[in-house]
Amino acid sequence: MSKQESGNKLNGRDFINIGIYTAIYFVIAMALAMTGLIPIFLILLSSMIGIIGGIPFMLFLTKVKKPGMLLIMSLIMGILMFVTGMTWMPIPFSILTGIIAELVYRSGGYKSMKAAILTAGAFPLWSCGNYLPLFLQREQYFADRTSYGQEYIDAVMKFTPNWMFFVLLIATFVCGIIGGFLGKALLKKHFERAGIV
Amino acid sequence: MSEDTWTSSKKKSLLDPRTKLLLIFVEAVLVLATTGGEHLFWFRVVFAMLPFLLLLTAKRYKTCFIGLLVLGVIYFLEYTVFPYVNGAIAGILLIIIMIINRFLPAYLMGVYVMGSTTVSEFKAAMDKLYVPDALTIPMCVMFRLFPTIKEENDSIRAAMKMRGIRFCGRKAGKMLEYRVVPMITCTAKIGEELSASALTRGLGKEKKRTNICHIGFGWADIVIFLLVAATLVYWILGVFA
Amino acid sequence: MIKFENVSFAYDATPEEKSLRNFSLTIEGGECVLITGPSGCGKSTLLRLLNGLIPEFYGGKTEGSIKIDGNEIRESSVVDQAGKIGTVFQNPRSQFFNVDTTSELAFGPENLALPEDEILRRIAKTVKNFSIGTLMDRSIFELSGGEKQKIACASVDVLAPEIILLDEPSANLDFEAAENLRELILHWKNAGKTILIAEHRINYIWDLADRVVILENGVLAREIKRDRIARFTEEDATRFGLRCLARTAPTSLVKVENEASGQTQMDDTIILKNFHYSYDKKQELYSIPEMKIRKGKVTAIVGANGAGKTTFLESVCGIRKNSGIMVSDGVSYTYKKRIGMIFMVMQDVNHQLFTESVLDEVLISQPEEDENGAKAILAEVGLKDFSERHPMSLSGGQKQRIALACAIASNLPFLLLDEPTSGLDHVQMYAVAEILNRLKNEGRTIITVTHDSEFIEHCCDDVIRMEEA
Repeated sequence: MSKQESGNKLNGRDFINIGIYTAIYFVIAMALAMTGLIPIFLILLSSMIGIIGGIPFMLFLTKVKKPGMLLIMSLIMGILMFVTGMTWMPIPFSILTGIIAELVYRSGGYKSMKAAILTAGAFPLWSCGNYLPLFLQREQYFADRTSYGQEYIDAVMKFTPNWMFFVLLIATFVCGIIGGFLGKALLKKHFERAGIV
Repeated sequence: MSEDTWTSSKKKSLLDPRTKLLLIFVEAVLVLATTGGEHLFWFRVVFAMLPFLLLLTAKRYKTCFIGLLVLGVIYFLEYTVFPYVNGAIAGILLIIIMIINRFLPAYLMGVYVMGSTTVSEFKAAMDKLYVPDALTIPMCVMFRLFPTIKEENDSIRAAMKMRGIRFCGRKAGKMLEYRVVPMITCTAKIGEELSASALTRGLGKEKKRTNICHIGFGWADIVIFLLVAATLVYWILGVFA
Repeated sequence: MIKFENVSFAYDATPEEKSLRNFSLTIEGGECVLITGPSGCGKSTLLRLLNGLIPEFYGGKTEGSIKIDGNEIRESSVVDQAGKIGTVFQNPRSQFFNVDTTSELAFGPENLALPEDEILRRIAKTVKNFSIGTLMDRSIFELSGGEKQKIACASVDVLAPEIILLDEPSANLDFEAAENLRELILHWKNAGKTILIAEHRINYIWDLADRVVILENGVLAREIKRDRIARFTEEDATRFGLRCLARTAPTSLVKVENEASGQTQMDDTIILKNFHYSYDKKQELYSIPEMKIRKGKVTAIVGANGAGKTTFLESVCGIRKNSGIMVSDGVSYTYKKRIGMIFMVMQDVNHQLFTESVLDEVLISQPEEDENGAKAILAEVGLKDFSERHPMSLSGGQKQRIALACAIASNLPFLLLDEPTSGLDHVQMYAVAEILNRLKNEGRTIITVTHDSEFIEHCCDDVIRMEEA
């Protein structure tokens, strides 16, 4: 059905699909970020993105048949994080996690459901890039955030010793997997039956 | 303009889209992430005020006025109310004050840039910056879809409101499903149709697209560059001092 | 010249059900062909085969040969056809890539890498021919449906394709906008373009067509040549399940019981007072000091522009904040109080379908869930066999009926409908009209915004014209 010559090169339709699902994903991520004003939610943000973002993400994966699409989506998220004031660190980090997601999904030949769920776990790791300044530039980060009030900082501090970053990565991955299963369930329940897959 | 003639209008917004991108970055780094700390305080004030000025040049008086009003209220709270409260209320108030203080300029800059830049200007800027299509086309589609997602969301919310009474309580847990799933379904359908329409008009047919949109730097861009350069120099001097 | 030879096609989703069966047709260059027939007859499939959306967007199995000027086109992709074949789609909201109109017109020629002055010249020419100077350099989000569809046509015109396909282009347009669309199609016809139009609503282009092709279940049921078109009667149209042929402006059907005669009692009517809406405070979209609606009747609201009427319905329903008052049985209701009293079927029904099955959709609408009751309602609207299907997977007419089933289930006394017949074929339109007649007899008050004269004649008691402010 699909044409031979198109091969593995991304075409206009792929680019548009990336745009559509990144837009949906970003809107959901932003809606969740609004809750980040409460200290505990800031820490949980990447996990929540993993779970709720899993819904459009699993739908997006049904459109991904070639390498590159996940990396582009991840990088766009990184760039948007930069624009919204999360420093430059999310950008290289999003490239790294994007490549990991690419490799995971490719290992399943772009169609295995098991690989898709693992990918849904790996992909939201981009959002941990937002925490990098918190750990790598600890002094400066809190110097900047004194304005949030001492209570806020104390709360954040208490939850963020350095090993916490890896805990966050793992938590995000696990929540991403949960999001993957949630997305898979909704895929079966709604999207496939509605005929938009 | 008359009914049946059209000449490509040379009217451009004041700033080149590349300058606008630079401004977004500067707002993000300087005002939102408060790089440079106290040392750059006055520069930060300048850049925090800049969006208001730019909104005026784009004739967005209403947005500008509301922004100033919000800022006024915040300063009123900070200087007249804040000193007299303490404890948890003070904490909450401080968080609100600080967050609005930081986010408002960057947000308004975003409003200005989104409102005054067309998709083709954005595309032209990205082409000039040698950013590949793989990044620009998805981002163009995103710009196109954000207002659509908002429209879809509003309609879905209205429909839920009309039928809402019967949702609440009994199936509160289903709210997420009822909100998120139709939003995704409707947006995905619109996206699919958008995709079909764009491809029938040749998106991606030629390696090198034409772009009839011309962008270029003017005096206003140079003013902004000088301002950014001054900030940078002052910051570097501060770091080595 | 376009030549279909023994073409059969089945979508991957329904492999056992063929959308087209042994279809053959030859279309000469410069011909204007109207393709019509009931929903699901295969007319959209025909256009998709030509522009390459089949198989790229819609997978399926194709047999037979399709040639344009002697070249087999099954090997070419959507993008290959760009510039040769132009397509105008149904939904005015979704076919734009850009946010402003000028970029949208430039979009196609830019993709083909035409030189810049050529693009500017083409845009200027299209703007002149289509008289759309006032629409240039605007955001598409502030245009009406009719204006959007004009821009969609213009963005096809700048590519100067020899073949133009229109896939139900008027489905979301009101009477005036459809008349405008007719002018654009006429312009293309005079310019010698080969035009294929797939439509339910055939009246606005009936006399433009050089040939009419009626499809039924993927088979060519009837081909009407130029000289026979004028002799085709309304009875013939009904026999083939087609919509009416006459172009009647809905505003010409205005009829209201004479209020001055005092025949209408206070308790027989509801009164809508003080409904105003202005866009940006500059220009009033509509202004209704008072409007009387008879209870237990179907009232059609016609005239004004689509956006104004939709906003009016949303205001009456209470989902939009407004200062309008509704008086019923001597009690005044503000917009907040009206919420939960009135059921509204939106123009885009997709927004009000939430659940995973048609039956669930009805169940959540009932005050108390009652599965037998819900099933009875579904049988009433003719959806008994679809109760387990996903609402979004059904056709436009079926979705419209799901929404009506929900309205019935809700037991609310007032029902508002926004263009309930857009994109519906003859049978589906009748089904909706029948349901409304039945609801009216049960004593419900129904207000519908519509541009569909045929529909008005079948089920509306009063027709009120809403003046543009």
